[in-house]
Amino acid sequence: MKIRLSHADGRPLYVQIMDAVRSGLVRGSLRPEEPLPSVRDLSSSLRVNPRTVSQAYAELERDGVVEVLHGKGTFVAPGVRPEERERPRLAREVARRALADASRNGLALADLITALREVEDGDPHGDGSKEDGR
Amino acid sequence: MTDNTRAMLPVDLGNGPFAVTTRGLAKRFGSVRALNGLDLQVPEGAAYVLVGPNGAGKSTLIRTLMGLVRYQAGTVDVQGCDPAGGGAEVRAGIGYVPEGHRFGYAWMTVGRCLEHQAVYHPSWDKRYARELSTRYGIDPARKCHTLSKGESRRVQLVAALAHRPPILLLDEPTDGLDHVVRDETLSILSEHLADSPTTVLISTHRVYEVEPLVDHVGVLSEGRLLGQLPRDELHGRLLRYWADVPEGWSGPGDPGGRVVRRSGAARAIEWTVWGDRDTVTRGLSEAGAAVREVAPLSVDEAAVALLSAREAS
Repeated sequence: MKIRLSHADGRPLYVQIMDAVRSGLVRGSLRPEEPLPSVRDLSSSLRVNPRTVSQAYAELERDGVVEVLHGKGTFVAPGVRPEERERPRLAREVARRALADASRNGLALADLITALREVEDGDPHGDGSKEDGR
Repeated sequence: MTDNTRAMLPVDLGNGPFAVTTRGLAKRFGSVRALNGLDLQVPEGAAYVLVGPNGAGKSTLIRTLMGLVRYQAGTVDVQGCDPAGGGAEVRAGIGYVPEGHRFGYAWMTVGRCLEHQAVYHPSWDKRYARELSTRYGIDPARKCHTLSKGESRRVQLVAALAHRPPILLLDEPTDGLDHVVRDETLSILSEHLADSPTTVLISTHRVYEVEPLVDHVGVLSEGRLLGQLPRDELHGRLLRYWADVPEGWSGPGDPGGRVVRRSGAARAIEWTVWGDRDTVTRGLSEAGAAVREVAPLSVDEAAVALLSAREAS
């Protein structure tokens, strides 16, 4: 599980950890019943307070994403269906950030949607000229 | 009674339990007021960072908690004891990294000096001391007087951590350390907190380093606190608002919070406000501002905002 925390990010650190677990599930790098790093190891590698990691794991447990087996560690819950819940949820989070970024730049939702389609279609300038095939 | 009216942010953490408190603590050096009616509250089990400019009183405060400074007024409570009275006993329960880099007796080897430390701390964990020394690349055969600033700091950190004290007082713990060792130290501290129940008070100018590690923040200026609060509350309520405003805009009558800092250009303002995010956003919007972005401040930025507001007032 790869996690990079950013302090410039508006999300609290524990939320960033939760989102990293969710994105691991969506990308398939983390699967049901697989173990998460121990609180000690993850806090050590992220240089964060262990309570921040515990808080993230506790919230994920409340959401049914992980389960804490006492004496064994934290595992992805067996019944997790990333496609049904985590994927739309993560998409909304990414959308929320994109919207905030757009609004900061004085753009409206419509500008953003149009530009997203154009960029996706390989038409980054919006004038029908495709990016030269490299 | 202590005068906290000059504090910009909350300074009262409520009822505790606290591992360390001071009440109206005052210390003068000649005509200089180093501590000026300070009410410190470090909750049991907290990781608390003390931020402030040079001369704010950070080291004096930490030395006072260690019983190394005789204070003139107020009270000090470190785990139920006044360090001024029960000095050695209180110190045995504290892991202390001092501001200075002198460690041990010059002619002794590092190994001997660490053994010497073990005598004063019944809870000294030999295995842990060895493990930390190895991680820090400390050669026990070296004579203390041959240690560089950074090497000395590493030994001081081992001495402070190895007895797994209930309280850590760390005065600029990464001062003198190179990048790699600083990073390793943060990792060691994270593991230490995971393994041992500890209350930590850290004073540092490199706030960004310890920001993810701490859960409480105190901003010190001229011997008193401008704010003392949980880090999450600071991040949640001290926010920067970017907004587009009409020409000649004079701001809302009631911004819905305490404006700590106003900056920005004529039609694009950047305000730092302490208050509820939705209330402040509404206050600004109702006054005709189009709020573009609201973002938390890092602890560093928050300290700068508070300190400059303090100077401006």
